[in-house]
Amino acid sequence: MSLLQVRNLDKTFGKNYALSGVSLTIEAGEIHALVGENGAGKSTFIKLITGVYQPDGGDIFWRGEKVDIKNPRNARDLGISVIHQDRHLVPYFTGLENLYLGADYPKRKLWLGIRWDIMREEAEKLKVQLGIEVPLEKQAQDMSPTERTLLEILRSVRVGCKLLFLDEPTASLTDQETEMLFRLLFRLKSQGTAIIYVSHRLDEVFRLADRITVLRNGQLAGTVIKDDVNKDSLIKLMAGREILSSGVKKEAEVNSEPFVLEVKGLRTVDKRVKKAAFSVRKGEILGIFGLAGAGRTELLEAIYGIRPKCRGEIMINGKVLAKPSPAVSLQEGIVLIPEDRRGQALIMDMSIRENITLPVLKNYTARGIIAHTEELRDTEDFITKLKIKADGSGQAVQVLSGGNQQKVVFARALMSRPGVFLCDEPTQGVDVMTRSEIHRLLRNQAKQGGAVVYVSSDLEEMLEVAHRLVIMHDGETITELSAKEMTQDSVLKCCYYPRKESEPSIEGEG
Amino acid sequence: MKERGKPNWLQLLRVYGTVIAAILIMIGFSVLSPASFATWDNAVNISRQISFLVIIAVGATLVMAIGEFDLSVGAMASLGGVFSAKLAVQGSPFWAVFLIPLGVAFAIGFINGWIVTRFRVLSFITTMAMGTILGGFTFWFTGGTTIFENIPESFRYVGQSEWLGIPVLSFLMIFLTVIFWFVMANTAFGRRLYALGGNETASRIAGINVHANKNLAFAICAALAALAGILMASRLGSAHPTGGNGLFLPAYAAAFLGMTTFKEGVPNIWGTFVGAAIIGILANGLTILEVPTFMQDVITGVIVISAVILQKLGRK
Repeated sequence: MSLLQVRNLDKTFGKNYALSGVSLTIEAGEIHALVGENGAGKSTFIKLITGVYQPDGGDIFWRGEKVDIKNPRNARDLGISVIHQDRHLVPYFTGLENLYLGADYPKRKLWLGIRWDIMREEAEKLKVQLGIEVPLEKQAQDMSPTERTLLEILRSVRVGCKLLFLDEPTASLTDQETEMLFRLLFRLKSQGTAIIYVSHRLDEVFRLADRITVLRNGQLAGTVIKDDVNKDSLIKLMAGREILSSGVKKEAEVNSEPFVLEVKGLRTVDKRVKKAAFSVRKGEILGIFGLAGAGRTELLEAIYGIRPKCRGEIMINGKVLAKPSPAVSLQEGIVLIPEDRRGQALIMDMSIRENITLPVLKNYTARGIIAHTEELRDTEDFITKLKIKADGSGQAVQVLSGGNQQKVVFARALMSRPGVFLCDEPTQGVDVMTRSEIHRLLRNQAKQGGAVVYVSSDLEEMLEVAHRLVIMHDGETITELSAKEMTQDSVLKCCYYPRKESEPSIEGEG
Repeated sequence: MKERGKPNWLQLLRVYGTVIAAILIMIGFSVLSPASFATWDNAVNISRQISFLVIIAVGATLVMAIGEFDLSVGAMASLGGVFSAKLAVQGSPFWAVFLIPLGVAFAIGFINGWIVTRFRVLSFITTMAMGTILGGFTFWFTGGTTIFENIPESFRYVGQSEWLGIPVLSFLMIFLTVIFWFVMANTAFGRRLYALGGNETASRIAGINVHANKNLAFAICAALAALAGILMASRLGSAHPTGGNGLFLPAYAAAFLGMTTFKEGVPNIWGTFVGAAIIGILANGLTILEVPTFMQDVITGVIVISAVILQKLGRK
């Protein structure tokens, strides 16, 4: 009898399938890797099995019995745990306190206190059983990422976890720490725990996994035994065979125009971007692609001046930006379309008009007083031009659809007549119509002499939109692909076989 | 969700409910006590009584618009009162008696803002501590006693005289309310404050200087609080080291009542004015009806909570 069996699992968000008809079997004591591109449905799958989402179709069997996992607590009671990238620990609780979080503390009779001694003893026993060392007296906020991961695994084991999800657990670990984690995983496996390991790092997948399941666009692309495949065939499986090389570019490359934006040896203080270099020409749409956590968003933020940089140069039209900040960027004609529309772009309870003119209020004021008539005229113009569906510019952006909200963000960007667009996932969560409108708008802006830096996790979109691609990995720009070289296959190969370019780079020393 | 085009009675009630409540309260008092409440003289009297409250609450509204709190406004008012009274007693010129305490208050408010923006300390904590510090200073400054001897006539002029039968205080209150309504509704500065309160990250990305604008809001708030304290001292002809402290809670009550009016859930100046008026009318009317003070407090508190709950219910 299998530990977990999933049949025809469906999950839709609105009209889109996040997961459709996925079937999968997990055996006790196996390490099962789950791989796929960004947005392939891995996280959705985890959330369905751990009770965060409810499936819209399909069945889940746990040890042969059909189950209905209503909430995370439910999942935990069955013996399903998940270790997330954002760890679920109370920062100012000690290791021991976190270990018992949400569980019944062993207590003396009549509420006369917690039996810390029993807890400590149990915890020590667990540590020996798993052969790991976790400082239980330390507060979680003082622990290293590994210690926190180990603590969470310890907690899962304590509550009798039979199936453990690990979501990119090595993202912030050093090689040595990774080794320690792997030893623990093998130990858990030998004790009969099943592990579902989600990672972009194929080397790790091949070291750990017994079987590998590939998801693609929310569908099962296949489950394979590790020894039957190699990296290449796995990447092909992820990309989908039928669209391996669709290389016809509609637009010619831009070669002769001058560079508008140049970035050299950029590094941020928090080292999310370690070494980034690229340049964009006038009239060009440059794509930046990379796997989750590669530092694409952070790179755009550093250029725009909201993530402090500690090294490197940003040049706009040949002029070095000494101290990047949003105000300077806007002045130099750089705009940012942030990834998080609600959190970073819009002020939800303000009107369309107030949102659109926010960065350019200066143009509508004389001695600080707003010229309402002109403001109204210009914003109504934009509403018509961008076909924003709203009852006038006084409507709160809150009540607009996602696509129309994004158009408001673009209207605002256009207000400052920018020369450089930094777009971070601009078509995420918008409908197909708006998506093509946004593409058209950016192409037009490029044609009129603008430069666009385009970040998207959707590789197909990227191949369609970008004239040229820069690949990022682990905070560095590693490769550049011209329009001719850009195929799904080649891009994913660059991502999964990160080869740092050996050519002498133009890294600025400081 | 808002429905455009067809304003129904429920929506009207939600937007103007607090105003309607204020009118109902007035009608109620007029019926219960026509001889004392519903007179021109009493109306003038109420307008004078609420002037301090309105001025301090307008300042608090600015800070609430940026999504912060200034809990030091009461202590600031007390300090403003004794500071200016002290200057007046020492024979400082008329302008200095007003402008020096206002300047100091402005600077202190700026420091409040600076601590909040620069060190990311919660404004709740920062201004609570600042209030304590200011209270301590005021006591040190006065030795804990009321300043009432040798207060010159000129100092009392603003608080006690009338123009055309209407107190100067009432004129000042209306003037400041109009000014700050204009600032909040029609200037880039006001727009930026609301933007900061709505979404600070988005405002920063839109190129707004977060620190400068927030600091300025805190500074103006503190200056208005000090002004309320000065006017109170001028009105009373004396300054007590805790004289302004009592304005603190009613000021926020007024601002919260105001958030239920005109602009739903958004701090706004005319709303705050109506809120302060309700509180003032209640205090006045209940006193006329000889309801004990402690009952007045209970009633005021119940009204604030009810107004906010009603507005939340209306939104669903």
